[in-house]
Amino acid sequence: MIRLENLTKHFEVPGKEPVIAANNVSMEVGKGKICIFLGPSGCGKTTALKMINKLIPKTSGKIYIDGKDTDNMDPIALRREIGYVIQQIGLFPNMTIEANICVVPDLLKLDKQQSRKKARELMEMVNLEPNIFLKRYPRELSGGQQQRIGVIRALAADPPVMLMDEPFGAIDPINREVIQDEFLKLNAELGKTVLFVSHDIDEAIKMGDTIAIFREGILEQCDTPDEILANPANSFVKEFVGTDRALKRLKLINVTEAIMPFRMVVKPDDPLDKAADKMRNREAHIAVMVGPRGRARGYITSEDIKGDQSGIVSEYIDPIPGTVHENDNLHDAVSQMYAQASDWMPVVGDDGVYKGYITQHIIASLLGEAPRKRGDKIT
Amino acid sequence: MNFVIEPIKRSKSLLLYILLVLAYSFGVFSESTGLIKEFVDTYEDWIYLLRQNVIIVFASGTTASLLGISAGILMTRPWFKRYAEAFSQSFNILSAVPTLAILAIIMTLTGLGFKSAFIGLVTVTILPVVRNTFQGISEVPEHMIEAARGQGMTDQQILWKVQIPNALYVMAAGIRTGFALNVGTSPLITLIAADSLGEYIFTGIQLNEFNSLLIGSLSVAALAIITDFTLSKLQFWLLPKGVNPQRFAQE
Repeated sequence: MIRLENLTKHFEVPGKEPVIAANNVSMEVGKGKICIFLGPSGCGKTTALKMINKLIPKTSGKIYIDGKDTDNMDPIALRREIGYVIQQIGLFPNMTIEANICVVPDLLKLDKQQSRKKARELMEMVNLEPNIFLKRYPRELSGGQQQRIGVIRALAADPPVMLMDEPFGAIDPINREVIQDEFLKLNAELGKTVLFVSHDIDEAIKMGDTIAIFREGILEQCDTPDEILANPANSFVKEFVGTDRALKRLKLINVTEAIMPFRMVVKPDDPLDKAADKMRNREAHIAVMVGPRGRARGYITSEDIKGDQSGIVSEYIDPIPGTVHENDNLHDAVSQMYAQASDWMPVVGDDGVYKGYITQHIIASLLGEAPRKRGDKIT
Repeated sequence: MNFVIEPIKRSKSLLLYILLVLAYSFGVFSESTGLIKEFVDTYEDWIYLLRQNVIIVFASGTTASLLGISAGILMTRPWFKRYAEAFSQSFNILSAVPTLAILAIIMTLTGLGFKSAFIGLVTVTILPVVRNTFQGISEVPEHMIEAARGQGMTDQQILWKVQIPNALYVMAAGIRTGFALNVGTSPLITLIAADSLGEYIFTGIQLNEFNSLLIGSLSVAALAIITDFTLSKLQFWLLPKGVNPQRFAQE
């Protein structure tokens, strides 16, 4: 856990007013949480981060890590207990990958065999084959591979806290997505408290449990991504997160959370009047026809069967507009809907089994509701 | 042209033949001018002078490298930073002074003989070593040092584990340049009464003895080539793989 209390930094500029890079910043990051420091360049987010491991001396204020005041800690010892990742990666070209990963364990004079074993485990966690890469040198690796090493180097001595200064900023967009996912997975397993500087709102929304938005040294808002997108504290935050903030929120919500509470399943050989009854009872506009193995095969709308209600369902069905997976987020789902020019979309599970459907209407009402926390379910 | 270039490319033995022909013509030439006779006659002198020359080159070169590296490292230390610029400027100015002038100045201070020659050669050699050491260490990227500091290295550890290893290649290049200058200057120390192959050269010039001149200059040239070759091999094999551009170019 990290707590900042009235953290302030003045940079003295000869002959001018001092520049205030951090102005009474107070915040708290819970254990195992990822907090993103977000803001335009020069807003003081990196300064705030570097004050925590004393790379930049603070002017005033307090920093507590796990309840301990860092003022009383030796900077060298403190830094060895904090993982540190930077944008330029900063692997040491003179050392092999193995030696690079084990820098901090070796500084702490930990058992070499243990730390080498740990290095192997970490390599496997980021999908790099230890037997191939451990004896190589940094320049033999691609940028994405190097930054993976940069991340696990910070984890090698198992520090409770990690500071990451725009760690994925220099990686190409495709690789960045992959490495972000890997890191989220990694941290779900390791449970480090992470402070993460970024200037990319999308990255912040994706990675952060909380986002702290800075402007000119002032902490403007510190809250969950959804709260920030739904209720920006002021016009600066509003502008910074962008006019499409409602769309960005879509990424935070899983398809399963927006799924209609009833599945509206009909069988191909159901009589039409029974299907119509069922739909009327639920006031549903759409019913999905499933095959024998539970896969969606087509759908009927209430208009289709308004008139003549003799016959069976399979005579009236239209082909389904596509499917979305239940683990996708609403952003993917909406994109799919627009691509198919459809206002609804059936949701399927891993094996293609029909789970229910979502409509644009329910998504719209979901976004219009009071801000939701991650994991909230609609009822 | 292709019909000429292709066989040359293909055949290593052709090169060998050409070398043999050159060696043979050189032999014929030297026999006809009495070069070989001269060489055999003065063989004992030659061996003695060569040994003296190698000794002084090796001694002064090694001393200068060690001193130069220490001075270069010193110049990068934080408490020395504000003098570093003045220091490196004065080294630059010093390297602009002709070597003969340096030798003359030192001779006026410490007299004739081995000692002055040694000091003179050290002065000549040390300049590129200091400059490259300073530059090599200063040019280790800032972010690498930040990464080292952020991981909890002390200043000493940053110097020894990060800065110096990554400056090694530039430092080694400085040492090679220094030795090349050293060998090139070494004949001149004859002028301040120290033994070197320069004896052949200057005797040859004064007595208008072409053969003596040739023996001296060819020997010095060979010494220079062998020194640089040895150093380049040392550089190739001693420098760790990660900081050795020659080694990773090879892969």
